[in-house]
Amino acid sequence: MFSDLSAQKEGSSLLCRPASEDQGPAVFERTSLAYSPSSERYGVGERSFSRQYAHIYAARLMQMRPLLSQRAKEKWGSDVLIKKLCDLEKGEQCCIVGTLFKRMELQPSILKEISEEHNLLPQPARAKYISETDELILEDELQRIKLEGKIDKDKCVTGSVIAIYGAERNDGKFTVEDFCTADLPLQTARPSLSSDRFVLLASGLGLGSSRADSMLGLQLLVDMVTGQLGDLGEQSGAATISRVLLAGNLLSQSTQDKDASTKAKYLTKKTQAGSVEAIRLLDELLLQLVASVPVDVMPGQYDPTNYTLPQQPLHRCMFPLSSVYPTLQLASNPYQADIDGVRFLGTSGQNVCDIQRYSSMESHVEILEETLRLRHLAPTAPDTLGCYPFYLKDPFILEECPHIYFSGNAPAFESKLIKGPDGQEVLLVTVPEFSSTQTACLINLRTLHCEPISFSAFSADDDEESEMNISH
Amino acid sequence: MDFKRRNGGPLAGGASQAKRGKGMNDWEDSPSQFEEELLMLDEAEMDSEEMEGQAGHDVIPVGDLFSADLNPRWRRPHAPSLDPSSDTLVFQQIDLDYYLGSAVAGMPGQSQGKVPIIRMFGVTDSGNSVCCHVHGFAPYFYVPAPSGFTSAYLGEFQRELNSVVLKDMRSNKDNISVTVLAVDITRKENMYGYHGKQSLDFLQITMAMPRLIAPAKRLLEQGFKFGPFPLQCYQAFEANIDFEIRFMVDSDVVGCCWIELPKGKYRLREEKSVGDDSQYPGMVSLCQYEVDVGWTDLISHPAEGEWQRIAPLRVLSFDIECAGRKGIFPEPDKDPVIQIASMVQRQGETEPFIRTVFTLQSCASIVGSQILCFTQEKQLLQAWAEFLRTVDPDIITGYNIQNFDFPYLLNRAAALKVNYFPYLGRVRNTKSVLRDLNFQSKQMGRRENKTINMEGRVQFDLLQVLLRDYKLRSYSLNAVSFHFLQEQKEDVQHSIITDLQNGNEQTRRRLAVYCLKDAYLPLRLLQKLMCVINYMEMARVTGVPLTYLLSRGQQIKVVSQLLRQAMKQDLVMPVVKTEGGEDYTGATVIEPEKGYYSVPIATLDFSSLYPSIMMAHNLCYTTLLQKGSVEKLGLSPDDFIKTPTGDRFVKSSVRKGLLPEILENLLSARKRAKAELKKETDPFKKQVLDGRQLALKISANSVYGFTGAQVGKLPCLEISQSVTGFGRQMIETTKKLVESKYTLSNGYQADAKVIYGDTDSVMVKLGVATVSEAMEIGREAAEWVSSHFTPPIKLEFEKVYYPYLLINKKRYAGLYFSSSADTHDKMDCKGIETVRRDNCPLVANLINTCLQKILIDRDPQGAVDHAKEVISDLLCNRIDISQLVITKELTRTAQEYAGKQAHVELAERMRKRDAGSAPNLGDRVPYVIIKAAKGAAAYMKSEDPIYVLENNIPIDTQYYLEQQLSKPLLRIFEPILGESKAESVLLKGDHTRCKTVLTSKVGGLMAFAQKRSTCIGCKAVLKTDAAVCDFCKKKESELYQKEIFHLNALEERFSRLWTQCQRCQGSLHEDVLCTSRDCPIFYMRKKVQKDLDDQSKLVSRFGW
Repeated sequence: MFSDLSAQKEGSSLLCRPASEDQGPAVFERTSLAYSPSSERYGVGERSFSRQYAHIYAARLMQMRPLLSQRAKEKWGSDVLIKKLCDLEKGEQCCIVGTLFKRMELQPSILKEISEEHNLLPQPARAKYISETDELILEDELQRIKLEGKIDKDKCVTGSVIAIYGAERNDGKFTVEDFCTADLPLQTARPSLSSDRFVLLASGLGLGSSRADSMLGLQLLVDMVTGQLGDLGEQSGAATISRVLLAGNLLSQSTQDKDASTKAKYLTKKTQAGSVEAIRLLDELLLQLVASVPVDVMPGQYDPTNYTLPQQPLHRCMFPLSSVYPTLQLASNPYQADIDGVRFLGTSGQNVCDIQRYSSMESHVEILEETLRLRHLAPTAPDTLGCYPFYLKDPFILEECPHIYFSGNAPAFESKLIKGPDGQEVLLVTVPEFSSTQTACLINLRTLHCEPISFSAFSADDDEESEMNISH
Repeated sequence: MDFKRRNGGPLAGGASQAKRGKGMNDWEDSPSQFEEELLMLDEAEMDSEEMEGQAGHDVIPVGDLFSADLNPRWRRPHAPSLDPSSDTLVFQQIDLDYYLGSAVAGMPGQSQGKVPIIRMFGVTDSGNSVCCHVHGFAPYFYVPAPSGFTSAYLGEFQRELNSVVLKDMRSNKDNISVTVLAVDITRKENMYGYHGKQSLDFLQITMAMPRLIAPAKRLLEQGFKFGPFPLQCYQAFEANIDFEIRFMVDSDVVGCCWIELPKGKYRLREEKSVGDDSQYPGMVSLCQYEVDVGWTDLISHPAEGEWQRIAPLRVLSFDIECAGRKGIFPEPDKDPVIQIASMVQRQGETEPFIRTVFTLQSCASIVGSQILCFTQEKQLLQAWAEFLRTVDPDIITGYNIQNFDFPYLLNRAAALKVNYFPYLGRVRNTKSVLRDLNFQSKQMGRRENKTINMEGRVQFDLLQVLLRDYKLRSYSLNAVSFHFLQEQKEDVQHSIITDLQNGNEQTRRRLAVYCLKDAYLPLRLLQKLMCVINYMEMARVTGVPLTYLLSRGQQIKVVSQLLRQAMKQDLVMPVVKTEGGEDYTGATVIEPEKGYYSVPIATLDFSSLYPSIMMAHNLCYTTLLQKGSVEKLGLSPDDFIKTPTGDRFVKSSVRKGLLPEILENLLSARKRAKAELKKETDPFKKQVLDGRQLALKISANSVYGFTGAQVGKLPCLEISQSVTGFGRQMIETTKKLVESKYTLSNGYQADAKVIYGDTDSVMVKLGVATVSEAMEIGREAAEWVSSHFTPPIKLEFEKVYYPYLLINKKRYAGLYFSSSADTHDKMDCKGIETVRRDNCPLVANLINTCLQKILIDRDPQGAVDHAKEVISDLLCNRIDISQLVITKELTRTAQEYAGKQAHVELAERMRKRDAGSAPNLGDRVPYVIIKAAKGAAAYMKSEDPIYVLENNIPIDTQYYLEQQLSKPLLRIFEPILGESKAESVLLKGDHTRCKTVLTSKVGGLMAFAQKRSTCIGCKAVLKTDAAVCDFCKKKESELYQKEIFHLNALEERFSRLWTQCQRCQGSLHEDVLCTSRDCPIFYMRKKVQKDLDDQSKLVSRFGW
């Protein structure tokens, strides 16, 4: 689409005769969009850590219960018996709404890490923590019960609120016959747009890593967006990129100085944070972008902001150059905004990676869909995913269905258009990590089509694949 | 609960019997322990006999109280009817006692008056309970017959003794007319000393009751005259043997063995209905089968082959919760019992099959558990007693049940007048009574224990087991389960228990879940530590009842074996007057050559040193030549040996000793068990065999201790000092031999050097470079040196240490290579601050990590750096406070302590602050040392860690550095860095110069101080609350990044710590209540909350 677009323009390829002087340089006006950020639900006002995590689970269950009861009735008939665990009677067929908890043997435990007796055995780092011995448990406000039967324990993750249908057997376990999730929330209609407008999504720029080769790809990306590349056709194409969204991990993991917090103070007193140089670089890079296009910057796992979700926007003081421009939007993670009436919702990928580690699901797009079906952005928070101890609300419950639902820092680009039970249409996009794939993606707001765009500068094996044909 | 450790604690300092091993250390406390045993024995004897007096009124209904609720799983499996004339009855006996009762028609023995009857309780293969009354066995002892005694005088002797014993009785409430049942002449020999194998005439005096033995013995010893014989004193033999042991020895019954009653030889008792006047007594126990048998008719199967199996015993574990008042330890006359959780498991199965909670007031249901709710506490107690009798457990376990739960229940039942409650044993009309047992010993100080009689059930208090067998930093159930199961349990502070109880059925349910877990953990631990199996094996090997193993010392086990062996040779054991004698030299050590050895050090060990010395040199009571015996018996020098201490023993060619024989049996049985263990594939049987071989090893080592126990049953200094004498000599010889053969001049790579030698091992530096070479030479040397000693003494090559850090006598550490030359098996540390409880955990952890770096990573410099970093962290307030907590138990109130003590003073201060949460008597008080004004007394510097965290009180880091860390650190680093350098490198230098000083929120001048914001960059005082001053503005980004990373790290920690607690408590939707101070993350999660709030505020000054 985007590339097709530029290919169609005749007579303005780079290999053609230069345009005559008097025509003057071609000027392409950047298409601009209506933009309204709606991330306020992910802002945290006064922060207090004197609370515990029980409240967020309680709020989640309270808010989800009516939704799930509704779904249960739709699925198993309006006369289905919906019970609480404390009223459960042996052998009675009923439906129970509760929070899942998966007891996992391999799950890393801070207790074991700091235990004095076992400091000889470091816990092996694993890609996945599921095992044969995992137990699935459903918990409501008061009680919990072990689950067995028709539910795939490997696929489930702690923190999901679901409704199960079945009966308690003699041995104190609940035999599940069927279960359902809250599924997609309602969606507002998407306006029909008259022309193609693009939003470019990239994530995992990984500045400050020792691998310098990704820098060239990054520069190509910037040049492409700012219209410094290609012929006029391509430049006019670039002008239709009306917004750039950087979905987290602008800095590389190597800028994280995890040692600093454990190393003795007398050794670290004089040192500065490892991210300082990388941030400076980022500022310069952003400067180039924001001068010509609005940019949304989300923080990610390795960026200098807080750890727990929701991550707060990067601080302006770190961007003395670029923050002068009004086009720089420092956004929170998760991110939510309406761009020309198209609702975007997404994260920098922590929620998806966490679920990948704690379930059998591999594909990021599959996990993305699963969270949408659960109607929850980050079910594993707070259990295995850091999260602020919210008190009266759980901001990660989806109240409105987005049109575009993305997550950053995926191993590869994937996209999928799914349909909800009430006619919702959602484009799922996993934005690949740029530093390892040199790939970003472009979304056409008019058609909800999405395509990857690669800038591999020197990758020996796949030059031909680079779609923009701008290598060498 | 915290208060559960109340009485278990005082012995914490002592826990002396921990990890029994070889050597004599185990025996240091045995003399006094033995005195106690005697004392206990007498008391117990009196009690058990008294008990018969109160027989007969209350008959306990079983299962009537709540037959509606009765769970079919509670009862034992149905017992098929039994026909004594055609069925044999086979059961595993698990408890054995005796009582005085009327003779039963058709049974052997005296028929008049009260007779002692042995009672065995057991379980059949199908899980039915058995009570077996054994008749016809009477207590007896021996005295030597006076010269000129013939069988004609027997009658006169008996009559005279009978009359003096009767006269001696202060009261005769049982109307005993015959005290001496019989006197017989037998040929026996005194066990003590070699007398040329002459047997002499002994009088075997059979008494009517066990308690008559003591007066008869005393009267005979004081001087006794009869017939034509003049007044003379008679030395008593075997008059101090427990009646149960006497019976077991004579009938060849060992603890927990299988008993077979052949068909036609026993009588089955039936339920006696009212008005039934048959001559046979009815059932008196709650067992399913109750039988009478003559003592000669039962068959006892030695625990071999199929008879090693274990019956499906029922193990019940329980825990109670009481609602105490704020700030007061629960008192049974005031504070109600609100919940009792019980779990019952069959031995050998992995999951309990009964889980119940008895609660006061309603309680929401718990999946998988039965909940019985009561509105009256009286009913609750009564119903639980019913439950216990219905379930009929063979073994009762729990955590500190002996000193807390059972006493509390009994006292509470008495206070509420629940009359049917205290019948917890298997004998229907015997009340369970609480007794105090004082235990005084040099090493442990005074210690109070309580005992409750519960006939037919074995009480297996896990806390007592752990105190005996393991040395731990903390004995709280939480710490213990984390240590052994790597599992934390939620710990609910007792002040909150009452609140939970007064809440609604959901809060009570929460309490019930917690209570159930407390009942479940002892079962898990019991299984994990294989306690039942190991103790059962020990009972079988040593031949004493299972209950003795937890309530009695080591001696009784040796006595039991000695008697069994002596009986075969017609030897009798004298009763000796015991008194503390002079000490003898213990095992000496070869002076260690301290240092860090980065070459392999081979270690040669004498396997079972003391037992093998006794066997090799035939050291025994029966072979001991007393002064003048050599001449008197005309022995030639070839007939005896002289030990290094100058004592003489005849050789085995003249007479083989009893002790060597016992030892041979034990060691060969151990060899067999080990061989079977290798072949066995079934994991459960493997456990049994492993428990068996361990029991055998411990028993073999305890034989030596028995001879050395100076206030023991039969101390023999000549034997014990000879044993250690030989031991010393052998270590010296080994050193000489090794150093003479393995030399450069003999063609070896280097001159071998013995760098250290202890009781039974020598460490040799062979001068070779690799572990495999060291192993090879070590093996060869062990064999060669062994050939110089009398078999079965054997020097074995066991392990190579590489590298090896020798700090001092009994203090060393090394990497242990044994199974393979390529990878080490473990890091072995001896005598180094790793479990000492008067230190803070920081010391143990630091030392441990340093040792790992030195030994495993071979990086002494890394170890130094690590130590420096930890010291720096300490000075910068970055050490987790749990690492600095010192814990002491509050055993007395402040007035009772002579000097002022830190923890007592703190408890007082805490009481003034808030009486509700202050520690009670019996609680462990955790504290840290805080900075105080110069010259403040040390005891005033203690403070509650939580209070310290909340109020930002500075820690006295200097105290921790100087009093806690410096000595142990210098000790391990001196061999590496050199004595003078160690101190200057570790305790001085750059790393000690960067300090963080906290400003306390309380005390002193803080009330008058005003806090002003300072620039985060340069600390300049600011007028506004901005983050940085104008000068630092250009560095704002850098400063921000440093602070935000710190916030980031704290947030990660926060989320990991608090979700861990949620997982541990087993609930997502409820707040974490746990206040377990033993949990390593308890203080951490509190501190991170505070740090995070502070850091959040700091970061917010930059503006979000």
